[in-house]
Amino acid sequence: MRQTKYVISGGLAFSEEKDMEKLRKLSLKGWHVADFKFLGYSLEKGESLDYIYSVDYRSLKEGEKEEYFDFFSSSGWSHIASEGDIHLFRALPGTKPIYSDRDTLVEKHENLNRSMKYLAIPLVLITLFVWVGTMISTGTLKSFLQVLAVILSIFAVPAAWTLLATYNNKWKVKEKKGLVNLLKTFYFLLFLIAVIILLLGVDSNGAVRLLASMVFGAVALPTFIWIAMSLFIKQRGKGA
Amino acid sequence: MKKTEQLTDSMFNIMAALTKPRHGYAIMNLIEETTKGAITIGPASMYTIIKKLLKQEWIYLYDGSDSRRKTYLLTEKGRRVLEEEVKIRKLTLQLAETGLKESEE
Repeated sequence: MRQTKYVISGGLAFSEEKDMEKLRKLSLKGWHVADFKFLGYSLEKGESLDYIYSVDYRSLKEGEKEEYFDFFSSSGWSHIASEGDIHLFRALPGTKPIYSDRDTLVEKHENLNRSMKYLAIPLVLITLFVWVGTMISTGTLKSFLQVLAVILSIFAVPAAWTLLATYNNKWKVKEKKGLVNLLKTFYFLLFLIAVIILLLGVDSNGAVRLLASMVFGAVALPTFIWIAMSLFIKQRGKGA
Repeated sequence: MKKTEQLTDSMFNIMAALTKPRHGYAIMNLIEETTKGAITIGPASMYTIIKKLLKQEWIYLYDGSDSRRKTYLLTEKGRRVLEEEVKIRKLTLQLAETGLKESEE
């Protein structure tokens, strides 16, 4: 029987390089990625091999796929799996990288950034609109909108978060350090504002307070998970 | 003719290989062989640039009958862009060559 297992992805927008490095390490242990699976990858047990991994983001129309994948296979990159516009490839170490110049590498990140924009911006706008609605309405409508706003925010906050991460990636490749730092400052300020609102309870309305606690949660939770996972991985690294 | 965009090295190299109809793999090989391996073009870069050159109408689909190995060729517009670029590159090449010679003396 074929042995399979699942590993979670760090989120390609956030940790593409780390993900690829992780897949390489797993291949060295004999676990080779076979497909994308809900928020991660499914792996199959085989013999231990040194493989390097790369992803590309591209929307392909019918009739474009064959040529696109042929470019990769003739360069030594075998196609493993695709999910939507995300394509995963594997090669032997020493194979030339799939992107050989910075201009096209910037476009790679622009591709991901563009598809995230279409998803995230309308979602964030609708969510903000509903939040405003909760602040100006009363009674049953208010409670209805509040529930709706919270539900929308559960999707909008991670979407906005991912979108900002794709901007971050794009600017990093373009070597726009100023913008990267600006984004870092923005995260910090957002966190700070949320903490201040929560501590002071400036607002009696409740909606702003609720939003602030969500922002707080959205910043603190990933940070907490990240710290916990890093510690866990370090611990496991020592054990192995 | 006014150029809309500056030609990157990779774009220039690919256009240089498309004075004759060639498919992507042949272009990559030709560039690598000509430069004795000094310049290689990755598949994702290659695909991005082919799409871009098609959009600019500097190259066109010459033969699409084999969906895996489509061949492309420079358009008239593309030829003019390439010729112009060769002229400019010759000038900077000259600058470097004469500069190097002078500093040797």
